[in-house]
Amino acid sequence: MLTLARRVIMAFGLTGLIAALFRLRGTGGVPPQGGGWREVTPSDLE
Amino acid sequence: MHVALLGLGAAGSHVARQLTQLPISRLSLHDIDRQRQRRVASAITAAVGDDIDISSERPTASDPPDVVILATPSGRHPRLAESWIRAGSHVVSITDDPDDVAGLLELAPLAEHNQRRLVVGAGFAPGLSCLLASYAASQLDSVDAINVYKAGTGGPNCARQHHRALKQTGSEWIDGKWVVRRGGSGRELAWFPDPFGARDCYRGALPSPMLLQPVFPAAQRISARMAATRRDRLTSWLPMMRPPHSDGGPGAIRVEVRGQRDGAIETVILGVMDHPSVAAGTVTAVATAAVIAEQAPIGAGGLATWSNPKAVLTELYRRGVRVASFNGVLAAIAAEE
Repeated sequence: MLTLARRVIMAFGLTGLIAALFRLRGTGGVPPQGGGWREVTPSDLE
Repeated sequence: MHVALLGLGAAGSHVARQLTQLPISRLSLHDIDRQRQRRVASAITAAVGDDIDISSERPTASDPPDVVILATPSGRHPRLAESWIRAGSHVVSITDDPDDVAGLLELAPLAEHNQRRLVVGAGFAPGLSCLLASYAASQLDSVDAINVYKAGTGGPNCARQHHRALKQTGSEWIDGKWVVRRGGSGRELAWFPDPFGARDCYRGALPSPMLLQPVFPAAQRISARMAATRRDRLTSWLPMMRPPHSDGGPGAIRVEVRGQRDGAIETVILGVMDHPSVAAGTVTAVATAAVIAEQAPIGAGGLATWSNPKAVLTELYRRGVRVASFNGVLAAIAAEE
């Protein structure tokens, strides 16, 4: 019983550690920080 | 030039108003609701005076109009279009029902044989969405994927079609074949032009892919989604719980076209925010003008088949329909530049 509890705690701990690494060190890209919607005028269509 | 407008609902009445700016001498306005027909006819007559002969009689095949605009509820457009093409009229249909669109596209051989023009889905989406896709594609060397998103509805018939679309299956073009998808699935958050903002969009019975695929046969993926709330999804399998609004606007369209330009992958994003019934009326009138001027191609197809989307968008701009493009800029890249 004690072994099982130890393994469960170890599994959750490892999962948390890996998740934290991904969260802190991951490079998921940077979403657009600027720009936006701009009206298309007839001069753009020429 | 004799033009007949069948159906004077939310979009149809806006079409009638826009038609007064076209070079037509005779305009037949018809609706099964006689009171509404009289109201629209008197308003148009007051606006144009004697310049256009306004008639409330339903046109007949013995005296066919040059152009017939079908703005009636969806379901009967293929049958009506076939009879008017056989009578010798050009036809502009405003339907947004996939079954109607499929039936209308099947009339292509008849239209070509009779040298008639059949414009399919000349409304907000499809219609304006097809034009945006065509214009976006013209900025790329090749097209890999097209995603169309729409939000909002026009009049009550449009709202009913919107409700039906969410519970029915829709087709997406994926890797060279049609794949049937369940309505209400495939949630994506789509950002529409300001101030409409972001909406959750889902698959549904939407006709845009079947109008775009013949024009972009090399595209690997063509899909369409519609905005819906949790309540819309929850009640989509039930009859409409309350009568739809007389006008469901404002609405919006977002069209993403991904492809290649100068060897690099590019995505062009265009959008429109407007009242769907107003914008649909304007698009239908501009499509009718193109048919009158013999600029629309012979045969059956959507607005994406037209060779010069820029000219059509310029005319729509002149009539008040504003298109926007989305240009996202990475702050890190902008800072380096």
